[in-house]
Amino acid sequence: MTPAALEAVAVTKHYRLGRQEIPVLRGIDLAVAAGESVALLGASGAGKSTLLHVLGLLDAPSGGEVRYDGRRVDDLPVRERAALRHRHVGFVFQFYHLIPELTALQNVQLARMMAISPLAYWRGRKQARAEAEAMLARVGLQERMRHRPAELSGGERQRVAIARALLARPRALLADEPTGNLDSHTASGVVELMFEVARQDGLALLLVTHDEELARRCKRTVRMKDGRVVG
Amino acid sequence: MYRLFLALRYLLTRPINLLGMAGITISVWALVVVVSLFSGFLQVVEGHVHAASADVAVTNLPPDLPWPKLRAALRDDPQVVDAAPRLLHFGMLARPGHRPPPAPLPGRSALHGGDQPFLFVQGVDPQREAAVTGFAAWLADPAIPAELRSPAPPLAPAADGTPTVLVGLERMRREGLRPGDRVVLTTAQVVRDARGGRTPTKVQIDLVVGGAFKTAHGGFEGNTMFVADATLRARLHPDQPDLVQEVAVAVRDPAQLADTAARLQRTVRATLERHNGDDITAYGVVQTWREKNGRFLESIEHQRGLMQLVLFVIMVVAAFLMLATLSMMVTEKVADIGILTAMGGTPRGVASVFLACGIVITLAGVAAGLVLGAVTGVYLEEVRQAVRWATGIDLFPIEVYNLDRVPCAIEPAWLLQVAAMALAVGVVVSFLPAWRAARHDPLVSLRGI
Repeated sequence: MTPAALEAVAVTKHYRLGRQEIPVLRGIDLAVAAGESVALLGASGAGKSTLLHVLGLLDAPSGGEVRYDGRRVDDLPVRERAALRHRHVGFVFQFYHLIPELTALQNVQLARMMAISPLAYWRGRKQARAEAEAMLARVGLQERMRHRPAELSGGERQRVAIARALLARPRALLADEPTGNLDSHTASGVVELMFEVARQDGLALLLVTHDEELARRCKRTVRMKDGRVVG
Repeated sequence: MYRLFLALRYLLTRPINLLGMAGITISVWALVVVVSLFSGFLQVVEGHVHAASADVAVTNLPPDLPWPKLRAALRDDPQVVDAAPRLLHFGMLARPGHRPPPAPLPGRSALHGGDQPFLFVQGVDPQREAAVTGFAAWLADPAIPAELRSPAPPLAPAADGTPTVLVGLERMRREGLRPGDRVVLTTAQVVRDARGGRTPTKVQIDLVVGGAFKTAHGGFEGNTMFVADATLRARLHPDQPDLVQEVAVAVRDPAQLADTAARLQRTVRATLERHNGDDITAYGVVQTWREKNGRFLESIEHQRGLMQLVLFVIMVVAAFLMLATLSMMVTEKVADIGILTAMGGTPRGVASVFLACGIVITLAGVAAGLVLGAVTGVYLEEVRQAVRWATGIDLFPIEVYNLDRVPCAIEPAWLLQVAAMALAVGVVVSFLPAWRAARHDPLVSLRGI
């Protein structure tokens, strides 16, 4: 049996507020296989985003394990976790988080720059640029490459964010309310794009959302309440 | 790669960062220009002082000094050209029947001289003095007009047998003295009574002005007059025909001055010991021209040091300007810190982006400051003239210091020191916002809180 691209095993997470310990995740078990799409549903405060961050190695679990392709990764040193985050997962956030000083193309190219030295980048700069242009063309922004985020619509910004997330060819795509800031028409286009690239690239797609309709498009739906999986 | 790329993008798209760079540039520029000016000034003043001094002076000589023996011992040294005897006194020079002119404004004494009525009276043998110092050149200086020049041989008695005196050119002009004028030198002679007491007694010596002398060292020229040593010896030390109070020595190789002086010190001690078995440790001090004028030269060096300190503080203040702009940038860029972390950045990598910003600002500021400082230094005189032409303000009145242009010595070692200091300050100051960026929780910005 092929191990899951992303896996949470009895993951717990709590925050400290003074002497008080506030549990956010209470023993979560979740596996997302390559090519599978999973929607995480739940009310605000249920722990969806925290689980996504823990699975994406942005946050450390208080207990349990996070595994990528069956290998435990949450206990790795900071540098290795950062490198793994770069290679294994791509993030798409509700607020796009594009860097305003950079054009759409530069925002996507930045993903290539994250893991290599200036010299290595300089040597492969033409190929890196071609890859970034191809990725932007893939998300339908070939005409908007030289525009800065402020000159793009919300949907276009989210497409740039998807292109950026995909450039490093990750094994999993983690999306946190990717349509939360978009109107329904634009949201539909962005969702369509995400599912399409996930299908084409065989990505494990984990989608945090409040939108039941969007969740139904995923192969599997996981409901969370008070830090637990309830269905 | 992303660290340098983002740092440059941040800098190029945020003109406010130019403020920090401008601060570093100005402070580096000021450090280069002011210190080069002081270094140049020190070099020129050292040249002036050396030109008005013997290479080596032997002072604090005992009253019964065996002068011929000492001179022979000194001349035995292969580095010594010649040695000349001097008598040293203080005195006031006045024209009988003339009201003395008002003293010039005080505060010029060390550099310019002539602001006090007492003068050093040097009793010299003109021929020997000319062999060990620029004495002959001081009398032939082109700045001395023909009517104020001393007839040859210098310090020869006037036609009526009255001894002559040589006075500094500026004092001659200020007091309206001309060769042939009769003056009275008022000085003192220490008389020992029968009980061994020492009583200073006023002595007045009638003199005739022989002519003017001029040196580049205004402090020496303004405060000194020359009289023949025979005249002073006859009037002030009639019972000590061999008295010498200072010996001026010229050496062959100025590069070996310190070694030569040390050797001469041993020679003087040995000569005095052979002459007199008493304790002579307090006698016969050999000083190079630099040691003799040490306090004066050190005072300029001290001022240069103070300026370096003040300007370094200004550099630190300028660096705080950079700290403020970088801190502001970190506050504005917390969202970027979140996404960089999500894309695989480490806290150290995120910190490096902001550290690189500070280092790039500092490097650009240092480079601009060094270039501007060096160019300003090279054209300092032209800058002075331009400022005077445009505003009427003379930033550096060269006449006061007997200079023909603003001095400036740009020392590569100092440029390197300034660059190193500025880089160190820039890196230290940049570290603080970078550290803040590294400690920022990326989840805070990713959650959109």
